[in-house]
Amino acid sequence: MIEVKNLVKRYGTFSAVNNISFEAAPGEIVGLLGPNGAGKTTTMRILTGFMPPSEGSVKVEGFDVLENSMEVRRRVGYMPERVPVYLDMTVHGYLTFWAKLRGMKQPNTQVNQMLERFSLGDRRNKLVRSLSKGLRQRLGLAQALVHNPPVVILDEPTIGIDPQQVIEVRETVRALRENHTVLFSSHILSEVEQVCDRVIIIHKGKIMASGTPQQLAKKYKPGVHLYVSLSGRSQSEIRALLESLPKVDNVREQAAGFVLSSRTDADLRADVSSIIAKHQLTLLEMRLVEVTLEDIFLNIVDKR
Amino acid sequence: MRAIRLIMQRELAQYFSSPLAYLIAGAFLLLTGVTFYSDLNFSLGVRPVEPALIPNLLAQVMIVFAPLLTMRLLSEENREGTMELLLTAPVSDGNIVFGKFLSAWAYYTFILLLTLLYQFILVNIALPDISHTIAAYLGIWMYGGAALAVGLLFSATTENQILAAFMATIALLLLYYGDSLGRVVASADLAYILFNLTLQGHYAASFAIGAVRAEDIVYYAGLIVVALFIAIRVIESKRWR
Repeated sequence: MIEVKNLVKRYGTFSAVNNISFEAAPGEIVGLLGPNGAGKTTTMRILTGFMPPSEGSVKVEGFDVLENSMEVRRRVGYMPERVPVYLDMTVHGYLTFWAKLRGMKQPNTQVNQMLERFSLGDRRNKLVRSLSKGLRQRLGLAQALVHNPPVVILDEPTIGIDPQQVIEVRETVRALRENHTVLFSSHILSEVEQVCDRVIIIHKGKIMASGTPQQLAKKYKPGVHLYVSLSGRSQSEIRALLESLPKVDNVREQAAGFVLSSRTDADLRADVSSIIAKHQLTLLEMRLVEVTLEDIFLNIVDKR
Repeated sequence: MRAIRLIMQRELAQYFSSPLAYLIAGAFLLLTGVTFYSDLNFSLGVRPVEPALIPNLLAQVMIVFAPLLTMRLLSEENREGTMELLLTAPVSDGNIVFGKFLSAWAYYTFILLLTLLYQFILVNIALPDISHTIAAYLGIWMYGGAALAVGLLFSATTENQILAAFMATIALLLLYYGDSLGRVVASADLAYILFNLTLQGHYAASFAIGAVRAEDIVYYAGLIVVALFIAIRVIESKRWR
């Protein structure tokens, strides 16, 4: 459980985080989405007890980060963006160190479980120095989870690793949902869309929008979008024909065709096929265009 | 306490697995060995052996060696970003600093114990003043702790190990030779005060001649406490940045 109320963090006169409030419940994966420098890392650092807030109250599992810092830190697993590691320790030694430092008396079973889960078992006695970036990322995740914390905070966990590993990391994060509250930051929109139950878009230290990816899609880019590519007449004639359709509100050129938008949820496909039949056009391609968080994000960020 | 022990254990393991620490231990033994040998030669005909020989040498050598032993401790955590993990673990800043300090002091104690070898040789071939030697070793042990604490303080301030070592060496040089200033001032009282503020003043005048004085022990312990306290504050201040 994470509760953030009116959080402000100032560095001198600059506000990195400017009055944001949100909550995350157990069993929920919340994505913090924003461009670099939006205040994601600062928010996370405050939640982990690394730095104190300038204003506002931040509670993790009911404990205030200022008043009960140690209780908060015991309950949080954190993977910083840089994935720091001790290069001169063995993989097993590294996990054991963090497990013990976070209060586990006999961490051996847990550590072995983690090594198993992140497929690091065959490297348990290797030095961390010898691990590739992707493996270090897995070790970083194992480090954040080894003490089985109720709250897991991951700062851009998929940066700088190859696509296969990105998929693995996403799957791992999704699997955490059952027993943990997960706060996950990224500036990759499709990722947040895939992984998170709820998205909080922040920009310049402020929350711009929040909700499920579907809710955001509905709110910030409502309606139906259809991509069609036709031939048989000149592009401008085709455009005019498409614009003449009553349900179509907007026609935009894209690649070799057009994107038709309708503010209502009307099905445009029937209308398009009637034009095709009437004017003897050839249909090259027709598909529904999914609204991506990218569109929403640009939409929101541009507006302000 | 548990956290201090864990951090200390980890750092000690690092000392014993890093080549630098072995190089330092090797240089330490070479230097003390050569000194011991030449003093032994000298003492054959000219004068009795010097009971505080090795500690006296270390009093100066530690100005360079203490920063080398401690430069890594906190600056590396700063540079690698692992400090962020340490500061978000349920461990107080004091525990972190204290654990690191104890590991350095333990390692120093280990190489100091290695030099006891010379004393065993000496006992077998001569009649050294053992109580004098013990006093000198106690003194240089405390002195070493203070020098390491100063080294650790500078390690906390930067991400750059070389810079940490350099600044700590300068600080220790000032602390050691600061009484030279006392020789150029006209007032004897002021010179006395300056002398008593220096590392040298609490070693050369007492432990080195076999005297154990409470004030000297308090001086070194005080220096350790002050240096560690400032180091903790330096780390705390990173949270506010």
